[in-house]
Amino acid sequence: MNEITPIDIEFASLNFTTIVPMLIAIVGALLILCIDLVNKKLDKSLYVMITVLFLLIDLGALASFSSDVRGFFDLLLVDGIAILSQGIIVIASIFFVLTAMGKLRFQEYRYPEYFALYLFMIAGFQFMVSSDSLILILVGLETASMALYTIIAMHNRLNALEAAIKYFTMGALSTAFFAFGSLIFYAVTGTVELGKISEVLVASSFENYPLVLLGVIFMLGALGFKLSLVPYHTWVADVYEGSTAALAGFLSIVPKLAGFVVALRFFEIFIAASDPFVEIILYITVVLTITIPNIIALLQKDISRMLAYSSISNAGFAMTAILIGTTQATQALFLYWLMFLITNLGAFSMLWINRSKNSTNFSSDHTLEKYSGLIKREPFTALMMGLFLFSLAGIPPFALFWGKLYLIGSAVNAGYIILALIMVINSAIAGYYYLKPIVHIFLKEPEPNSEKLLENATVSIKGIIGFCGILVIFSILLIEPLLDIISYYVQISGY
Amino acid sequence: MEYILSILIFFPAFAGFIGFLVKEDSIKAYGIIVTALQFILSLILWINFDVNEALMQFTQVIPLISTYGINYSVGVDGISLFLVIMTTFMTMISIIGLSEKRDLKNLIITILFLEMTMVGVFLALDAIIFYAFWELSLVPMLYIIGAWGGKLRIYASIKFFLYTFLGSLIMLVGMLYLGYVYYLTTGVYSFSLEDWNMMILPFDMQFWLFIAFFCGFAVKVPMFPFHTWLPYAHGQAPTIGSVILAAVLLKMGTYGFVRFSLPLFPDASVYFTIPMAILALIAIVYTAMVAYAQEDMKQVIAYSSVSHMGVIILGIFALNVEGIGGSIFLMISHGIVSGALFMLVGVVYDRTHTKLIKDYGGIASIMPKYATIFAIMLMASIGLPLTIGFVGEFLSLLGFFKVSATLTLIAGLTIIFGAVYMLTMYKKVFFGEVRNEKNKELKDLNKRELSALIPLVALVIILGVYPKPILTPVENSVSALVDLMKIKAAEDNTRLEIIDRNSIEGDK
Repeated sequence: MNEITPIDIEFASLNFTTIVPMLIAIVGALLILCIDLVNKKLDKSLYVMITVLFLLIDLGALASFSSDVRGFFDLLLVDGIAILSQGIIVIASIFFVLTAMGKLRFQEYRYPEYFALYLFMIAGFQFMVSSDSLILILVGLETASMALYTIIAMHNRLNALEAAIKYFTMGALSTAFFAFGSLIFYAVTGTVELGKISEVLVASSFENYPLVLLGVIFMLGALGFKLSLVPYHTWVADVYEGSTAALAGFLSIVPKLAGFVVALRFFEIFIAASDPFVEIILYITVVLTITIPNIIALLQKDISRMLAYSSISNAGFAMTAILIGTTQATQALFLYWLMFLITNLGAFSMLWINRSKNSTNFSSDHTLEKYSGLIKREPFTALMMGLFLFSLAGIPPFALFWGKLYLIGSAVNAGYIILALIMVINSAIAGYYYLKPIVHIFLKEPEPNSEKLLENATVSIKGIIGFCGILVIFSILLIEPLLDIISYYVQISGY
Repeated sequence: MEYILSILIFFPAFAGFIGFLVKEDSIKAYGIIVTALQFILSLILWINFDVNEALMQFTQVIPLISTYGINYSVGVDGISLFLVIMTTFMTMISIIGLSEKRDLKNLIITILFLEMTMVGVFLALDAIIFYAFWELSLVPMLYIIGAWGGKLRIYASIKFFLYTFLGSLIMLVGMLYLGYVYYLTTGVYSFSLEDWNMMILPFDMQFWLFIAFFCGFAVKVPMFPFHTWLPYAHGQAPTIGSVILAAVLLKMGTYGFVRFSLPLFPDASVYFTIPMAILALIAIVYTAMVAYAQEDMKQVIAYSSVSHMGVIILGIFALNVEGIGGSIFLMISHGIVSGALFMLVGVVYDRTHTKLIKDYGGIASIMPKYATIFAIMLMASIGLPLTIGFVGEFLSLLGFFKVSATLTLIAGLTIIFGAVYMLTMYKKVFFGEVRNEKNKELKDLNKRELSALIPLVALVIILGVYPKPILTPVENSVSALVDLMKIKAAEDNTRLEIIDRNSIEGDK
């Protein structure tokens, strides 16, 4: 009779440090829950600050990594991409959690669970980006997603529940796709580690090609939901509209970055092998993702819905970097996303502080009419909104222009001239819908008896917006140091 | 003096920021002081400018994104010097003549920002920095047209913005591609114009790049058939918007052709001479006819701008020193003259709130000073000898005469059309009986208007009689440009063609 050999693991072989950043976030979450057990009367500001503190420590732990480390039987891979994207995720999360400090009282911020879930979610994303094992990626993805569904649902409004349910069902479908895709790759190659999958596939010169393709299609479906690629984007506008503006901003940045990293690791296998079929599928997906939401965004009358569609299109833009697959393109992906982060953070925070809880004048929270003639009523608010909108439209020298420049530049350099032209034409289309709120803010007369905006403004949120505004204006000075950092991390992980 | 160009670029914007602190009722004085200082700065630049030197002067380079070869790089030569001075001058004059009452503070601050972008465009030597100023100029102009314009102002401003935005985005792809080509040949990225001028590109590449840059420049000029935004923009813009649009913004397009298309793509420039000339001729003939049919004084001048820009394009694509030099002179003179004409229309519009020709008649007897200044500007616009308009127009056509006598003849004929529509308008507005009783109470030009217009009249006549101080430095730099084109031509035919076009009859 065969005896199972007892497992004998040395602690050192686990390389425990690889998990420390995520662990810090999890400990923070547990601490918040414990505090709530002891004293239920504490103010939300305490929880916000605890979250910020733990995220800062998390960031500090991340900064101690400087090269590729593997841990936990090679399940975890902390390479340059992982460090970089974890860093961006944590920094973005610090900023977004501060937007919970609004003046208006919203139900969800009264629950400490909200902040615990927030930290769990970040830990999930951190796991997701620092692994090349499909199983662990799925675990990270699900941890993050489950927390996110709950966070959306905690916003106590009817359309928030609708949004959460919509997001959940779509998410469940995408999980199924992911699991099925992983299964196929396991069947074909006998492993779930992306690196080894790549080796096996290349060594066998893509044996069982139809099956591999089926796997690719399932994975594209799964990642497509997360990255809101066309045609898997239908949930986005409703979910963004159902969430608070701040959370919508978060949704448009952080989960997608995690998704991009997984997509980068996964599609790298095929792009490196220049598999024509995958390239064509990706090309079509990217072009549709850039174009279709842009056209839908033209029709929107609500700014938050418009920004939702525009962020789908922006995801398509960033996705081109994965299609192009050069080192410069990978750098462009991160640069673009960082520039998008500071711009979108500012834009959604503006919407968030302009939120009014008892506004009945308008059909939705952020109709264009609400902002009519804002330059005459509140010039500074108007200038800030104009700044973020011009940045989104890609007007130089504001932040997103440099991202677009570098991304389109990398497309041109890799010979994708047609793709570059498609991106450019879409930028012009996007120019039109970003102009619509600008027209309302700067060129129209104020609506009669329009109420004061900025109801939800507090010093901390204003601080974030001011910070973003300064970064957006002087972004040109950031590009060089950012590119240095990005290229260092991208090159040590060999993309 | 080392930083004078950067000071010229950023001083207005900086002053604009400070302007937020100035009280509304004294903002106009502030605006005049700032733009006058800026004008004096540009004159100091001229005084220190070495007119015998054809290459870039006062250059300054600050690395911004060195891994990708993007630098803040500025410089000035004979081609850009006078465009800068014209810009600062016209901005000052337009603020002196400003009669707008609504939201004056926002308007003046916006114009100061606009001045930064305009000066930046003419001084930038790095393609990306050029592009940044080029695109950024759309934002204040959008605001000026959209917030202070007429009834259709929002439509007009969006149309203006989107047309030029799309055109220049395609140009951006061309710039990125050129940067990449530079990388392929040298191993480092660069967007510096001076670096690019070292490259000799094969004709195929020049062909496509010429088209990409054409998209950006042609919309801005505007060339037929990309001109449809212009009548709307002018028709709806407030007076100051029209003045700056006609005087400076349109010149960015023709400047772009001279600064980028000619030296970078000499073979393509020769290749596209005839198509460009035909587009320019269509613009000259067609818009002259359209101008004749207009009922609105402002639209007449707007269409005449398109027509004159056609002559400028014709001069540029003559590819010889006379033609290019003449068209640069024409850019400056058209800037002054069309700016003055738009201000003059603004003068009566302020009084009567109508720009329709049929509402006027016999104004000459009521407003003699106004009629005189209008007549002088009209003569300059038509290109009467001894006015500023003649010099550039004559040289441009002379330049193109060496390329094709027939096409020049057609262009020359249409200048007669120009005289027809302008004089018809003048006759209808100023002579005959006073048709509208209300007009009898019109007041003649006041001090403010005179102080804005008299310098323009003086310039029109002085430079018309003695254009040499401007022509000499311009022609120095232009002959350097033409020499560069000869060196850079990838094909021998092109080189011979350029040499041929620059030869004097006796040389052959």
